[in-house]
Amino acid sequence: MIKITAEDISIDEMVKRAKSDDAGAIVTFLGSVRDDGIKRMQIEAFSEAALAELEAIREEAIERFSLKSVQVVHRTGSLLVGESIVAIVCSAGHREEAFAGCRYIIEELKKRAPIWKKEIGEKGERWVDGHERNL
Amino acid sequence: MLVKVLAFAGLREILGKERELEIREAATVAELLSGLASANAAFKEAAFDDSGDLRDYVLLMVNRKRIDPRQDLSRELHEGDELALFPPVAGG
Repeated sequence: MIKITAEDISIDEMVKRAKSDDAGAIVTFLGSVRDDGIKRMQIEAFSEAALAELEAIREEAIERFSLKSVQVVHRTGSLLVGESIVAIVCSAGHREEAFAGCRYIIEELKKRAPIWKKEIGEKGERWVDGHERNL
Repeated sequence: MLVKVLAFAGLREILGKERELEIREAATVAELLSGLASANAAFKEAAFDDSGDLRDYVLLMVNRKRIDPRQDLSRELHEGDELALFPPVAGG
């Protein structure tokens, strides 16, 4: 399952889907909104392009790390501190592949998927990982 | 001919999320961007430097494939093409 959604993420549901008789390890990664003195975070995606990129990353991870399954769900919309931004669940025969695959997916997602985050605080708002112009 | 222009994050705040533009047949990406800049001073200021070059944090996709702003601005657009503009990504 690869999904970009405005709805809350159910990691339990994802883990259930990842279970299989040949999967000895399931690794989950959950990225959440951290309290850096912000009130909330606004997440925006170019959904069609992001889904295609996530599918490509998924295929790469399965190939490189012999994963049995990969699921990625990324939220959009307005999130409060503590809410989940992204969930990744990987299954593999053994833990080494599952950990490495999960790590690969989150790092590539951050570099490649057309998704943006804006921090909204008491004193103003800023796009995350911006640059001098903060677009 | 009509092409679609999408913008995201800070560039969406300046340009709006989506618009259809009437441009001449086989107009280039550079011409389209220049047209947007002429019509919108805030976009011009945000996207172009003082010498008129596209700033390096303006990223582009045509029909959902990344193009290289250093090489592909002369790419011709065609009826129904979709140009997306956005700053560096920051998901996860």
